[in-house]
Amino acid sequence: MKRFLFVATISAILLGFVAGPFAYAAETEMTQQHIDRIRANCVEAKTILQRVHVSDALLRVNRGQLYEQMSTKLMEPLNNRITLNRLDGMTLALTATDYERQLNTFRQSYKTYDETMSDAISINCVDKPVSFYDLVVSARQKRKDVHKATLELHKTIKQYGVDFNAFEKYVKERAG
Amino acid sequence: MSEEELVAEAKTLDSWSRHRFLVFVGIAIFISVIMVLISMHLYNTSGTAQLDLSRPGYQSVREQASHTSAFEGYPSTGALDSEALSEFKKLYTEKEKEATSIDSFGGNVITDKALSIDAPK
Repeated sequence: MKRFLFVATISAILLGFVAGPFAYAAETEMTQQHIDRIRANCVEAKTILQRVHVSDALLRVNRGQLYEQMSTKLMEPLNNRITLNRLDGMTLALTATDYERQLNTFRQSYKTYDETMSDAISINCVDKPVSFYDLVVSARQKRKDVHKATLELHKTIKQYGVDFNAFEKYVKERAG
Repeated sequence: MSEEELVAEAKTLDSWSRHRFLVFVGIAIFISVIMVLISMHLYNTSGTAQLDLSRPGYQSVREQASHTSAFEGYPSTGALDSEALSEFKKLYTEKEKEATSIDSFGGNVITDKALSIDAPK
């Protein structure tokens, strides 16, 4: 029984090694003409990627700063002030927590995207056109993830505004 | 003390006494290398590298980065009366507009077609 399990495990591992590249090839389904086209145009493509990479870095710095300010200079101080004034700001606090979590997702998504873009730009695309193409596809998906993270942030920023309006109403009712 | 006397004295010293300065320098260099490796690891893994526009290749956009912000934010202490709430609302609305007005990282700028690496038909 033990021998059978040993042979089965070794066979599974070997099968994985042998079938892996074929499964991958089937997934990407690249023709020789496509590979040749990538090889022929990849240097130009890398120049475009480099340009996008640089402009995205600037966007990350500027937008990131703005997103951080929303949290550290507006949401957090208001939540602290609500606590100090012994008012019920649970909804605002929860939204701010969500925002902080999404901000972390944004930071992490951008980091992953940046690393993949750097890999795509630095790879020798003439020697490794398929790997280059895969990195571009991956970078594209990761850029979409960053975009999605920014949309989530925008949604929560708006939600905090809505929550604040409700809070304002509650304070006015309480005072009046 | 003459040079000959110094050489003669050095010959009487054991190996550790003769080489300890070299060993200390070696240890100092080794510790520095380890510290640099740790710093580089933290720099790359913490996401700081992504915010560093002083890296090579980013000279063209370095000047466009917003360096310091004049925005002081909302005070975290004080009463929460209608005036304080109105002040917050004003600040928040301004920043909300600024933050959500641009659709960052959208658009298909790195499609196969844009990069001319699409499959030939």
